Amino acid sequence: MRSGEPIFIAHRLLDEQILDSEGRRCGRVDDIELRGTPPRITALLVGVALYPRRLPRRLRGLARRLAGPERWGANAMRVPWEEVDEVDTAVHLRGKAEELGLGNGDHPENWMVKRLPWN
Amino acid sequence: MRAIFKIALGIIAALGGFLDIGDLVFNTQAGALFRYDLLWAVVLGTAGIAVYAEMCGRVAAVTQRPVFDVIRMRLGFGMGLVGLIASTLVNLLTVAAELGGLAIILELLFDATFSMFVVVAAIGLVVVVALLPFGGIERLFGYCGLMMLVFIATALHQGPDWGEVAHGFVPSFSGSTLYLYFVVGVFAAALMPYEVHFYSSGAIEEGWTESSLRENRLNAIVGYSLGGILACALVVSGFLFHPVGVDPSDLGTVALPAQGAFGETGLLLALGGMMFCIGGAAVDSSFSASYNLAQFLGWEWGRYRGPRKAPRFTASWLVFLFLAMLIVLSGINPVEITEYSVVFSVVALPLTYLPILMIAGDRSFMGKHANGRVSTLLGWAYFALIVVLAVAAVPLLLATNGGGG
Repeated sequence: MRSGEPIFIAHRLLDEQILDSEGRRCGRVDDIELRGTPPRITALLVGVALYPRRLPRRLRGLARRLAGPERWGANAMRVPWEEVDEVDTAVHLRGKAEELGLGNGDHPENWMVKRLPWN
Repeated sequence: MRAIFKIALGIIAALGGFLDIGDLVFNTQAGALFRYDLLWAVVLGTAGIAVYAEMCGRVAAVTQRPVFDVIRMRLGFGMGLVGLIASTLVNLLTVAAELGGLAIILELLFDATFSMFVVVAAIGLVVVVALLPFGGIERLFGYCGLMMLVFIATALHQGPDWGEVAHGFVPSFSGSTLYLYFVVGVFAAALMPYEVHFYSSGAIEEGWTESSLRENRLNAIVGYSLGGILACALVVSGFLFHPVGVDPSDLGTVALPAQGAFGETGLLLALGGMMFCIGGAAVDSSFSASYNLAQFLGWEWGRYRGPRKAPRFTASWLVFLFLAMLIVLSGINPVEITEYSVVFSVVALPLTYLPILMIAGDRSFMGKHANGRVSTLLGWAYFALIVVLAVAAVPLLLATNGGGG
């Protein structure tokens, strides 16, 4: 998919799996940032802190308490659209997951991953 | 020639992995209570899982998306989350049921306490999964599960009245709620969603592409049909209990008809077959729980990635297994857990079935491999049936006091 091409974002982009340049699974498209008129996709938003806004209004308060406040760069990541290489059966990124702050939960340096018996 | 051999092996694995503790409990009891009258429900459930699995395998091979990828994309985050929670609870109950079943069989074969065997069974599964690659795990349980074929021999040996057996394949409805409960149970036991979720993720684990579609169709149709024959054989062998009024709700008694027919060899084959079928199902259902969670949240997943590359997936698998172990150790009868896991699985089924049906028919995803007319018709017919059963399942469970009458 080239930039500038129209796309049914709810149909083909939202909730899609994200893969980094090495094919590692590193999150899903939890939300999409749109800017300008007509709106253009400027970034993909990824992270646990974005889950509450995907829920029905009534549940959001509870979900926010569970997920914690949005901390950009920690539990809510912004992936600029320029980093997206291709969208086919998944969203392929140009860079590695750790450079973009994605997939930290599976990263060997993660404090919890380090403590697993097989690491 | 090698291609045919490979396909045959796949079919054998599908056959050996088809039965689990749900089928053993429900089908044998169905035979004991209603003779051959529920065979049609076994056939209906078996055809249902073939339709659903073929679709999931096709979606995975063509779009590289396993079930829970598709669920979140089509149901959205909120409803997808409901599907995830429901499936995870059912899966957890299923793992507990299988683990408990495994311990019951070990208890019959060796001498130690039940709780001890629950722990041994869990550790055994961890060792098998740690040592073997994905294909090896499937083959171990699939091939050894073939010992279950002794039930077909047993059913034939009993010399059933074939006219009556044939009559059982014609749908019939007696008015009793217990009969209706068993219709749901036998159908749902054949169509456990974890089997299909595992099958779909397994397609990705094994690197399926569009060229695997023939293998997928044969696995689903031939493998599951043969599995269905085995499931019918359980009903027929359960008939043995009908005249004498033995209640086969104790798992060990399921193996007794084989002993009656072939002595100690028969008994050992039956127990061995049950052990591998149930063990395989314990692995499949616990993997499914972790696949679903990882896929919904976008984590790295898969046995093929190994624990280092998919640490959260692996850790969650261990946690699920541990929680299931606690459920069994709490002292609830595994047969009772089985009944709940089977009945609730049919309640959760529509949520995971619908999105797959939507994607499988969507040409923008599937291209020329989208559902044709026959698959579309069959797919929606089964969806309607599943919704009806899902609505009926819990009232029937309560009305019959969990099949206790």
